[in-house]
Amino acid sequence: MKDLTIRNLSKTYFDPYVGTNVTAVHDVSLKVEQGEFVCIVGPSGCGKTTILNMIAGFIPHTGGEILVGGRPVKGPGPDRGVVFQSFALFPWRTVLENVAFGPKMRGVRKVEREKIAHEYLALAKLTEAAGRYPAELSGGMQQRVGVVRALANEPDVLLMDEPFASVDAQTRMTLQEELTRIWQEKRPTVIFITHDVAEAVFLANRVVALSKGRVLDDIAVDLPRPRSWDALNDDARFKELSGRVLQLVRSA
Amino acid sequence: MKQFLLKMWSHCVRLTARWPSIASIAPFIPVVAAWWIVTELQIFPRVFLPGPAEVVRSFGSLVYMGILPAYLQDSIVRLAVGAFWGVALGIPLGILVGLNQRARTALWPLLLFFQAIGDIAWLPILVIWFGYGLTTITVVIVYTVIFPVVLNTVLGVRSIPITLHRAAQSLGASRIRMLWEVVLPGALPNIVTGLRNGLGYGWRALIATEIIVGTSGIGFLMFDPRRSGSVVEILLGMIILGILWYIVDSWILAPIERATGQRWGLVTR
Ligand SMILES: Nc1ncnc2c1ncn2[C@@H]1O[C@H](COP(=O)(O)OP(=O)(O)O)[C@@H](O)[C@H]1O
Ligand SMILES: [Mg+2]
Repeated sequence: MKDLTIRNLSKTYFDPYVGTNVTAVHDVSLKVEQGEFVCIVGPSGCGKTTILNMIAGFIPHTGGEILVGGRPVKGPGPDRGVVFQSFALFPWRTVLENVAFGPKMRGVRKVEREKIAHEYLALAKLTEAAGRYPAELSGGMQQRVGVVRALANEPDVLLMDEPFASVDAQTRMTLQEELTRIWQEKRPTVIFITHDVAEAVFLANRVVALSKGRVLDDIAVDLPRPRSWDALNDDARFKELSGRVLQLVRSA
Repeated sequence: MKQFLLKMWSHCVRLTARWPSIASIAPFIPVVAAWWIVTELQIFPRVFLPGPAEVVRSFGSLVYMGILPAYLQDSIVRLAVGAFWGVALGIPLGILVGLNQRARTALWPLLLFFQAIGDIAWLPILVIWFGYGLTTITVVIVYTVIFPVVLNTVLGVRSIPITLHRAAQSLGASRIRMLWEVVLPGALPNIVTGLRNGLGYGWRALIATEIIVGTSGIGFLMFDPRRSGSVVEILLGMIILGILWYIVDSWILAPIERATGQRWGLVTR
């Protein structure tokens, strides 16, 4: 795992219908240390997905630079694992094969990569589902697979774009708690994108507030771990931090 | 009486539940019965419409003489060879056109143009080029099979969500491996649909071609006896066509569909 540096990043889209340029990301700078869990929070349309897609290498940036472990990003690669809002599991592969996909691309032998996959499936309490196809799982289970599929490839940075936005509220809380538990165990570097302030504060070491393509502020979250909703729901410090982030996001 | 019918019905239901193949035969029983009654009543002269018994007898003698098995084999081999080349050329072409914008711009109008000409429309010129033989038949079938396969493959490739491409790239898949791991399986349900259509059209084109240029095969079997005015063999040929397609569909195409798109949740059951 390595650190991530973003310097003066910007993105200008050309809108072919209107015939004008739209700047979705302005001059964003951010440093994420190895093993850190950073949440980028902001209202929809503020440029979160654009930033994440540039870090992942899915779309080119138009200004500034992105460095992973000191090396500039050129296109997608296995050093940056991605968890998608729409899960993006391979429907024609079983859960086990989905999780073993990254190691398979690296050339890991079948026995070995299935061992790795089983290990990660156990981590997300998915052992029972190993032989099933994604379509046979609930949304919450599918996204658990999405998370461990990315982790099993041991990326330097894990990028997550509103991964829990399309599951129901109760399942979402469980997934958030599990994610913090898995993060504590494996300590990956995470950039997690969300529009949900409570989710951001619950998960992160650090919350970056974004508005209209610009970074507003950067707030450290010093809540103790392990975190659970039972404990934090009435926690004064949690409420204070959430209130601050919410105010920041809404004021802009 | 009503009780008796109900009892018969429930008996039938239980029987077909135990042996599903009976369920697929059952719908034909009334059709054959009606045919039999019509011929027994002599509504049409016997030479124009022979009965089931005569067709079965003709089937028996043609099998005994070895003509029917040989013709059947000829037709099936021709279809298989044509279908093989249609698929072998059609899938790569479809993937190329589906993935590459430039190939699409260049080839799409050509595909639509040549698809419109139709298989049989090529026969006159093919006969002049290749004569009355296997080459002509194979070209027609390949031509017939390839368009549905290509067009459906393009559709399938284009319908793969971009997130699946991105997920595979982020997990370290190279461009070549993407073809095998994402593009081909993602397009497979559509490819099977294309194959189903292609084989259906190909089968019809084969019969038509055999009628015109054939020296053997089921189409030839149906067309050759016209000189002697033997309707029995024409009817037999028609029945064989139906049965063969039924077998191809339920033993080959349907199982493939069940094992791919349905299991993966890509198409609704
Ligand atoms: N492909 C694109 N072409 C043109 N404009 C785009 C494109 N993608 C996003 N945008 C614009 O960029 C802005 C930021 O979008 P996005 O990054 O998706 O925001 P978020 O993920 O925070 O909701 C929006 O105004 C959106 O309309
Ligand atoms: Mg977004």
